[in-house]
Amino acid sequence: MRKKKQGSVHTGGDRTISRRAFLGVTAGATAALSFGTFIRSGLGAAKVNVLTWSNTLRVMDDVLREQAKQYTKEKGVEVSFEFINQTDLPTKTAAAVESGAGPDIITLWSDGPHLHAKALVDVNDVTASLGKELKGWTNIGKDIAIVGKNWKAVPWGIIPIALTYREDWLKEVGYSTFPDTWDELLAASKKLKDKGHPVGFSLGRAIGDGNQFHYPLLWAFGGAEAKKDGKTVAINSPETAKAVDYRRKLYQAGETEDVFAWDDAANNRAFLAGAVSVTVNAASIYWAAKKDAPPLREVTNHSFFPKGPAGRFGYSTAISLGIFKFSKAQKEAKAFIKWLLEPKQYSAWMGIGEGMMAGLLNFYEDDPVWKKDPKLEVIRQIPKYVRMPGYPAPPSRPAAEAMIKFVIVNMFARAAKGMATAETIKVAEQELKEIYGKA
Amino acid sequence: MSIARAERLPARPWAARFVKPEALTGYGLISPAVFLMLVLLAYPFVLAVSISLTDRVLGEPGKFVWLENFLKLLQDSLFRQTVWNSFVYTLSTVFLKMVLGIVLALLLNQEMPYRNLVRGALLLPWIVPTSLSVLTWLWMFDSLFSVVNYILLGLGLISKKIPWLGDPFWAMVSVVIVNTWRGLPFFAVSFLAGLMTIPRELYEAAETDGARAPRQFWHITLPLLQPVIAVVVLFSTIWTFADFQIVYILTHGGPINATQIFATMAYDVALVAGRIGEGSAISLFLFPALLVVIILLLRYLRRE
Repeated sequence: MRKKKQGSVHTGGDRTISRRAFLGVTAGATAALSFGTFIRSGLGAAKVNVLTWSNTLRVMDDVLREQAKQYTKEKGVEVSFEFINQTDLPTKTAAAVESGAGPDIITLWSDGPHLHAKALVDVNDVTASLGKELKGWTNIGKDIAIVGKNWKAVPWGIIPIALTYREDWLKEVGYSTFPDTWDELLAASKKLKDKGHPVGFSLGRAIGDGNQFHYPLLWAFGGAEAKKDGKTVAINSPETAKAVDYRRKLYQAGETEDVFAWDDAANNRAFLAGAVSVTVNAASIYWAAKKDAPPLREVTNHSFFPKGPAGRFGYSTAISLGIFKFSKAQKEAKAFIKWLLEPKQYSAWMGIGEGMMAGLLNFYEDDPVWKKDPKLEVIRQIPKYVRMPGYPAPPSRPAAEAMIKFVIVNMFARAAKGMATAETIKVAEQELKEIYGKA
Repeated sequence: MSIARAERLPARPWAARFVKPEALTGYGLISPAVFLMLVLLAYPFVLAVSISLTDRVLGEPGKFVWLENFLKLLQDSLFRQTVWNSFVYTLSTVFLKMVLGIVLALLLNQEMPYRNLVRGALLLPWIVPTSLSVLTWLWMFDSLFSVVNYILLGLGLISKKIPWLGDPFWAMVSVVIVNTWRGLPFFAVSFLAGLMTIPRELYEAAETDGARAPRQFWHITLPLLQPVIAVVVLFSTIWTFADFQIVYILTHGGPINATQIFATMAYDVALVAGRIGEGSAISLFLFPALLVVIILLLRYLRRE
């Protein structure tokens, strides 16, 4: 027993010393480094790390890389972008928030500023001066980034989600313009499917496409998952029932049954392969067609989501740039974000995306990119219809959880598989109550 | 010699440490391993347990809520489905891997040309990084371009394409197939190693007594293989309950939550929705049950 103790003291002691030594060295190094940072920031040379998603359009990332270099040259502040897979962003963000270490600037997905508000610094000064210079912020920009009274992030852009459709096939069944209401779309899709060109909207685990199609559908019929207070679950309503009935009919009359298997990439492939006539997407299909199938691009066009009894809605992913409270270069980070969103830089980035990304400052509604191609006109206007999950309440943790758990998509999916309307709504209501009850 | 050394000892105390107890050297030698265990296993585990007892959300400290997370989960409809799915997934894959593993091991134990090459090739699914091989499976199950459907249709075995990942039933079948494919080599190779330790004489004696192959299998092979089977099944059960990659890549728990299992649900709840307290509770939910199984199994093995 005694020996054991001695042993552990002995080894432990050794380790303590080495750990102490290690800590000492690290602390010294950190001190030296931060002193260096201090000195350098005095000279305007701090380093800003930006963690962001790697865009499906690589050329857009190339522009950012170039701009970072240019910024360093002009302002003497080193900026570096780290591009990671979009699906890894939540994990990395979580790790940074929990450990209090990581990048200075983080790219936040739609509801991110609300979910991570406590870890982010206020950026009211940046948004105020940008808003003043560039005709103010769009409503959706305010929705995603203002938490309570403060701007918790700077809205960076939105990936406008539209319906992508085959003009030639719609003409074949007698439509020279895209159906304007959900009912007309139902009629059209039946005709399309009879001709062997079904429509397709993911009812599977497509976190993007699935949610982006089904929230607007629910809202257009007047349904909502919760009341404006963001606490009371309100899914069980006659309006929701109408939306669910509609979804079942749409699936049965005009849709490919593959939709249950679709992830976020599957509908792009299906559209490019000519297997579906209408689907929901960003301009990425249009982009892909440019490279892989130019003739297809000629007959591809975009449309707004159809109108329902309660109006026209959309849900697109918006991204914003937040600055972590633990960042040692907050001032530099703010200056860089402001610079990045100024017309010279922003137009270059948005322009090369050709509709992949739209600005959330009103100024960018008149950007030259929208004049490049008449088929981008719809994309330009998408942001004004966009709402976020949880609507009419502001984005919140329960709303985010409901989305990641596919509560709304699954409600429609069960109906399409044949479950009775009242029953599938009841399941969704139960799930929502469990989620909202935790808040 | 020893007397001389003993006399010198008091004068040079530092030497005493090296010479006196061998035990100390022993502790010294295992200390790196213990240290690693503490840092890499014990610490995260204790941390996970302590987080699971709080209502923590990302970036906020949260408060201690005892077992509330676990009790709430029991009433959560989605979680109950997850438990069911996890059991279906684990039990069916472990069973398949066990049966097929034994068959494969018996085959590989036969004399045949290039036997070592074949045995080596068998390990491929186990060696290839799971995320990569599962991406290939994703393509093979694609709703539009599935090569599996293409072949089955071409052979006339099915008349309509199978909605591999698009139907709750078939989605479960798909993840079970892929998990079995990936885990089979581990089973087969372990069983093969077990088979090779069974003395030939037993079979020769049985043959002399007139026992045919099936009886030899039941009365010699299976009983002697039992300890290996037990260990392999135990490990696989634990791994499969904790499996993440295959389901995450193939179905992400869908469609309509038909393949949602512990790890994928914990990931969504903890990291994407930010409820890390509840997320930890989901991933730790089965820990007590698994612990009991492990203890029972290890005791059984010791008796053997």
